[in-house]
Amino acid sequence: MTTRTGELSPAETTDPKNWTNKLRGRIEGLVPPGQALPARQPVYVASWIYVFGVLTLSSLVVVVASGCVLALGGSAWWHVSSLGHYTNSVHLWSVEMTFGFMVVHLWGKFWMAAWRGKRALTWITGIMLFGISIGTSFTGFLSQSNFDSQWIGGQAKDGLNSIGAGAFFNVLNPGQMLMWHVVLLPLAVGALTLVHIILVRRHGVVPPLDAKLEG
Amino acid sequence: MSALSMVAGAPGKYIAWGVIQISVTNLTIICVMIVLFILALVVPFPTHEDEQSEHEGRSR
Repeated sequence: MTTRTGELSPAETTDPKNWTNKLRGRIEGLVPPGQALPARQPVYVASWIYVFGVLTLSSLVVVVASGCVLALGGSAWWHVSSLGHYTNSVHLWSVEMTFGFMVVHLWGKFWMAAWRGKRALTWITGIMLFGISIGTSFTGFLSQSNFDSQWIGGQAKDGLNSIGAGAFFNVLNPGQMLMWHVVLLPLAVGALTLVHIILVRRHGVVPPLDAKLEG
Repeated sequence: MSALSMVAGAPGKYIAWGVIQISVTNLTIICVMIVLFILALVVPFPTHEDEQSEHEGRSR
């Protein structure tokens, strides 16, 4: 029952059969209370090696933002406009920074054995993100609409066909590769990034191997 | 042709070592990343305690 002021009755807000209540409960239980955006971290987090995850995320935001601007002008815009060329360069170099930071983040977490303490899924989603990000960047190279993208497509199809992957997609089809680059793969990267961050906040950042933990 | 496009069109320099072949540019980037990784491990991270001790040092 809804009151005149729009407030829900107590029975409606706590009814366990109500799917909205169930969904809210699951969302609220994703991370422990206060851990979604914590203001304080354990003392061992005061190290530069812990900065590279958030640097990867920050540069990914620039990648997506510059990609959205490029989408306004289309894939050939950067050939005919100085603003388009500049935006394309921002897109390229933010991708380079993303991968550079991501690899240092990966090295740091590998040598820290970051899958410890029930963090296996965090590690697995990170590795999946690395792989899908490579695919996303490769389809970007195929979407340059120039001779370089033609040459890369010609080389890639031989390798992909040799393992049978050419049955599922065609790297010589620029329209298909552009759609994969701007829709399918960014959606996968975005969704996995969200899951990865939720898992990090759920289990906390991994302590160093020699850290003495309280309790 | 502008100087910039000539540089962009120049063939890359490669280092060959047995079956391994890598461009000088890629090798340089990998070396810079390894240096960055080592620096991230050894360079001390600024903390609030450092800032507090710095303030106390100035006030004396």
